[in-house]
Amino acid sequence: MQVKLLSARFDIPDAHKIEVAKEHGAYATLDKVFAMQPEEVIELVKASGLRGRGGAGFPTGLKWSFLPKNIDKPVYLAVNSDESEPATFKDRYILVRDPHMLIEGIIICCYAIKSQAAYIYIRGEYTTQVKALQAAIDEAYAAGYLGESIAGRDYKLDVTVHRGAGAYVCGEETALLESIEGRKGQPRSKPPFPAVEGLYGCPTIINNVQSIASLPFILANGPDAYKAYGTEKSPGTHLFGISGLVKKPGMYELPLGLPILEVIDKVAGGLRDGRKLKGVIPGGSSTPVLTPEEAQTVTLDYESMAAHKTMFGSGGIVVLDDTVDMVKLVENLIYFYHHESCGQCTPCREGLGWMLKIVKKIIRGEGTTADIDLLTELCDNIEMKTVCVLSAACTMSTRSYLNKFRHEFEAYVSGGASSQTAM
Amino acid sequence: MADKVKLFVNGQEVEVESGKNLIDAIGAVGIEIPHLCYHPALGADGNCRMCLVGIEDGRPPLVPACKTRAAEGMKVQLDTDKIKKIQRDIMELELINHPIDCPICDQAGECKLQDYYMKYDGQKSRMTVKPVLKAKKMDFGSGVVHDQERCVLCARCVRFTRLITKTGELGIVNRTDYARVNIFPGRPLANRYALNVVDLCPVGAMTSADFRFKQRSWFLTKSKGICRGCSKGCNIFIDHNREKYKDDVIYRFRPRLNEKVNGYFMCDAGRMTYKQENDNRLTVALLDGKETGLNEAVEALRRAVSQAKKIVCVISPNNSLEQMFAIQKFAATCNAAVSGYSDGYVKAGDGDDFLIQDDKSANRASFALLGIDASKVGFDAAVNGADLLISFQNDLTLSLTADSLNALAGNCKLAYLGSNMDACAEKAAIALPVASATEDAGTLVNVDSILQQYAVAVVKNTPAFDMIHVVSQLGGEVKNCFEARAGLTAAVAALKGIDLEQVPGEGLALTVSEVTNVAA
Repeated sequence: MQVKLLSARFDIPDAHKIEVAKEHGAYATLDKVFAMQPEEVIELVKASGLRGRGGAGFPTGLKWSFLPKNIDKPVYLAVNSDESEPATFKDRYILVRDPHMLIEGIIICCYAIKSQAAYIYIRGEYTTQVKALQAAIDEAYAAGYLGESIAGRDYKLDVTVHRGAGAYVCGEETALLESIEGRKGQPRSKPPFPAVEGLYGCPTIINNVQSIASLPFILANGPDAYKAYGTEKSPGTHLFGISGLVKKPGMYELPLGLPILEVIDKVAGGLRDGRKLKGVIPGGSSTPVLTPEEAQTVTLDYESMAAHKTMFGSGGIVVLDDTVDMVKLVENLIYFYHHESCGQCTPCREGLGWMLKIVKKIIRGEGTTADIDLLTELCDNIEMKTVCVLSAACTMSTRSYLNKFRHEFEAYVSGGASSQTAM
Repeated sequence: MADKVKLFVNGQEVEVESGKNLIDAIGAVGIEIPHLCYHPALGADGNCRMCLVGIEDGRPPLVPACKTRAAEGMKVQLDTDKIKKIQRDIMELELINHPIDCPICDQAGECKLQDYYMKYDGQKSRMTVKPVLKAKKMDFGSGVVHDQERCVLCARCVRFTRLITKTGELGIVNRTDYARVNIFPGRPLANRYALNVVDLCPVGAMTSADFRFKQRSWFLTKSKGICRGCSKGCNIFIDHNREKYKDDVIYRFRPRLNEKVNGYFMCDAGRMTYKQENDNRLTVALLDGKETGLNEAVEALRRAVSQAKKIVCVISPNNSLEQMFAIQKFAATCNAAVSGYSDGYVKAGDGDDFLIQDDKSANRASFALLGIDASKVGFDAAVNGADLLISFQNDLTLSLTADSLNALAGNCKLAYLGSNMDACAEKAAIALPVASATEDAGTLVNVDSILQQYAVAVVKNTPAFDMIHVVSQLGGEVKNCFEARAGLTAAVAALKGIDLEQVPGEGLALTVSEVTNVAA
């Protein structure tokens, strides 16, 4: 099932070094790219059907075409490498094992959107990754792939690595821009959208690491080669991070569209012996959970996920077996989103803390049925009332557990301590 | 006149100004959109989420009104169940960690949380878990005391120090419900407008150390006035109250909106000038420092006037236009010289480019209108050979050295009409009490030639006579403020055609063109 488009060089020793990477095809697309007009590059990416790999799945080429025409301001590219969504661990592989694929992608993207400055916003905790990435950027400068004239052409491009300070919300694109500008990482109200008014008030494109890293393959092999993988509306491959209670957790590159249970069984080794599936988180902690029955029909693509009222997200699949206490999982989930709320908007700032305290109360055995109902209502009261979707990330997922595993909450309310898990 | 657009609010068509956000545009026609963080002087921040409104057929259908401009044909929904529920939900979330200590909170009675709870919320608390505990009575400096538990994190105060004073002492530290408004350690509020954050705060989080616990806001009578702290003439509210068995006392000055003069703000020094209206007042007449009946003292001064060979009347730049006119007329009847010498009221270099002016007097511009000489040369010539100097509330100790004032007092008799027991009143042989600025009515012309009026705000149990009345008792022909105004419009070219009884609330700009228009 596994394929190797993005991960082609992952297993080659020292592929993070420019000479090894070049031996295996890095920077080979540049001749082709510079022979094209920027608009042609955008059209080609549009034709490939590549969708943003940060979670929302917005078509990458279409996003680029939202840049205003005939502007006298500089255009910026911001590469979102904040990868903070719990259960997501795909971009870190690119940063460490094949950073030149990302740099090549950045050159392609910047050429297409006519940008001469790219920022890579990398989460502060990624110390190993930032060292690897910076070393690769230094190599690329030394080799003439970045800087005043790229690969000998009359085209200038600077890439700057900006380290975050450990805030999940800085993965939200406008909070990311605020953070790069040196301010507190808080999302901006939209409109104006970043493509019109982004970094330093200039048009800015923000793309996920994996989206950018997918560009060299598309440019080298053409959109049809990319579309040969995946489904019609979800073409290509994705780096899936499979974690949770499976035998072989890890990062696997797979084409989109595969049945989720088959992937869990065949790629991740299946559940531990004697365990039953209780649920699957399909794409990072913020995506609504799937019950085993729902998982029967779910395939790993955007449209199937939407049809099952969940989201493809970041491809971080978490497998939950019958030892998992869903109430404690929800506590952990809300703890995270509460802790990471930027504190700007009232509903998120005050509401997530309230939700956390209610869940803790239920776990202590002091909860009532009214508390479960209040928790459900709070999800509605908070969701989509805020500047960004951080609160929705918490409430959408929490609601799914409340709806699909309400009996576990009720067991706490009626029976005190946890007695509903097999542990 | 700004362009108008037609839009619908709750299905009803209204015409509003275009270009404004929905809160201001719709607010101008009397429809309230609740909001905490938006303030016209500080712009939209969009953090409180209280102003979320529905837009029928809109994309998105739910928008913050503070960040949404009024547009033609827009269908704004405020009364749908969905919007009402959002308002109630946001209020609930604002209040879950609020201490609800209204009985001991200074903001009670003028608090947005209280008002909005009554209007948009009204439900019982569903909070069954412990609230977040935060710090209380933090000294932020400049007389500002902060209560973090009452704070709704609207960031108005933070934006004020960033956008208006540009000093940036305040910030919000930490995130989620650990977020707190705070100062940097050891770096308190240190700007001359700091107390405006108390007014800006929609709740009781920012309180004034000076006003704290002095009065409940609903007992205060909020009279309009003009600040006399400097020549800017900021519009103010005079908040005063007569407690049972006590006298009418002023508890605070607050800025009052006047876009043409001070906007929404005033300086801290001006705000504190209310104290001189209460304290150290000259309440009785003094003859050589001894308490005397008022009639007796007036009689003594009349006698002195009739016996004097040469009289000098010293007018204060704080006198109202009417007072100056009455004094001028009086001086003419007793053949007295007139001087407005008051250099001591000017603190060169103290002003800034916002509100504070160098000149700490309120009405110096009227000197020019009435042709009153304020030069030192003119003053010296006037006092040369004089044997009676009457100062009309002009504290000469500010402008003259102690030695020269003593020398002056040795040569001529000093008389003083004033409302405070200041240094000049102590030096005077005859001191007569008159009504203070908040107890009198009058007209002021500020540094930008804007003519503004104020009315009597405070009435003491034993009111002092106003200055024009005392001057008329001394022999002046102008009997009261109305006569003075009639006389002024007749005599002063720049005031011709202006009805001083009908000055608009935001003042009148005495521009050159206006004067020439009138002349033509």
